Amino acid sequence: MAKRMNLLVGTNKGVFIFASDERRQEWSLKGPFLSGWEVYSVLGDSRHGKRIYAGTSHAAYGATIRVSDDFGESWTQIEQGPSYAKDTGFSLNRIWQLVPGHPSEPDTLFAGVEEAGIFVSRDRGTTWRELDGLTKHPTRPGWFPGAGGMCLHTILIDPRDPRRMWVAMSAVGVFRTEDGGMTWTPRNQGLARVPTGQPQEEVGFCVHKMVLDPNNPDTLYMQEHGGVFKSTDGGDSWFAIEEGVTLRDNDAPFGFPIVAAPNGDLFLLPLESSEQRAVAEGKLCVYGMLTGESRWSPTGDAVTDEPRHVSVLRDAMAADAMESYGLYFGTTSGEVFCSLDRGRTWDRLPGQLSRILSVKPWIVED
Amino acid sequence: MRIDASVPMLISDCTNGRTRFPLEAETLGEALRRLVEMYPLLRVHLYDEQGGVRQHVLLYYNDENIAWLDDPGRIALKPGDKLRVLQAVSGG
Repeated sequence: MAKRMNLLVGTNKGVFIFASDERRQEWSLKGPFLSGWEVYSVLGDSRHGKRIYAGTSHAAYGATIRVSDDFGESWTQIEQGPSYAKDTGFSLNRIWQLVPGHPSEPDTLFAGVEEAGIFVSRDRGTTWRELDGLTKHPTRPGWFPGAGGMCLHTILIDPRDPRRMWVAMSAVGVFRTEDGGMTWTPRNQGLARVPTGQPQEEVGFCVHKMVLDPNNPDTLYMQEHGGVFKSTDGGDSWFAIEEGVTLRDNDAPFGFPIVAAPNGDLFLLPLESSEQRAVAEGKLCVYGMLTGESRWSPTGDAVTDEPRHVSVLRDAMAADAMESYGLYFGTTSGEVFCSLDRGRTWDRLPGQLSRILSVKPWIVED
Repeated sequence: MRIDASVPMLISDCTNGRTRFPLEAETLGEALRRLVEMYPLLRVHLYDEQGGVRQHVLLYYNDENIAWLDDPGRIALKPGDKLRVLQAVSGG
């Protein structure tokens, strides 16, 4: 059965789809779809046919989920999408994350939203309800937004147990559930604390992105506002893993994405600092800690012949699930790059898009 | 009474692709209700969680912002009236 690679790219002006065969050497570009809408989250879902979910938002018109069953040619808005109850007082401003449920729950989807919260659908996206144990947590009055808004941007599910999940929120921190989202516990011990000026010690951690080790679901990695961290006990405690990635003396490495490839290779795309919020010296330099290594090192510079004074956002870097994986990232100036050799050399995909918010590979079998 | 209603292109996927369409109602209040009954997907785009009109959305009855009208339920519609959904001008 032939495989096709679709790279779904959410921008602040709609969705684009790059397509290739499994060699991933030549790419075609379609879009924009949902033109005019911000697409902070996008998901290609092959569990029941071939469906794309897009978390769409707009400064005037709010946030909804739209779906396409024909590779973006037409879209339908979900009528009973995520929505906070009136008495919560919360607003749903953006949908930052759409993830499929555990393999044992093929009809399930989760959505992470701003203001921070998590919603679940048990019927393939038709209806949604809030897992409100999170927003009813006693620390909720002490949650404050980061510069990007108070967003729940990461949802991870333990492959051994669908009831065990992690979420990460900026600038709140990590919470874990053991009961499918009914109750949650902060898991932030050891993280660098960003001063949010609030008194609750359990929260106030500006997690930028968090991933699960594909070979050991007790191990997590995180790009945080104040450094790069690892946990080997399911988030109970965290320690810094920053050797080799310090870009500016005395500064913890700053950036947004962190990616775990299927074989366990890890990748970052560090920025110069929190103040600059752009790559250092215009170099789109990817850092890796490849399987078996214990320190970070530069793996490759995506554009060697001219500078790119840009950033890469937290969900704009990803690896695909091919046997020899591809690594991708999209920049805030709308360029998309692909590496097929563990981040060493990079090709620029065709087109100049808008500000790239999310990059999600989707393998489709014909 | 049949009046003319309109919505911006960006949310016309909620109105079967139409940016202009007729609306049957006797009062402005009824017209506002009918708008989201006929096209329920519009509701989330026009109103926030508290039921108020979104901050950057304007609902205009002819040349008046309904936010400044006392009681839309008491405003009888007339031939040629218009109900318009507009995106508020903001920013540069």
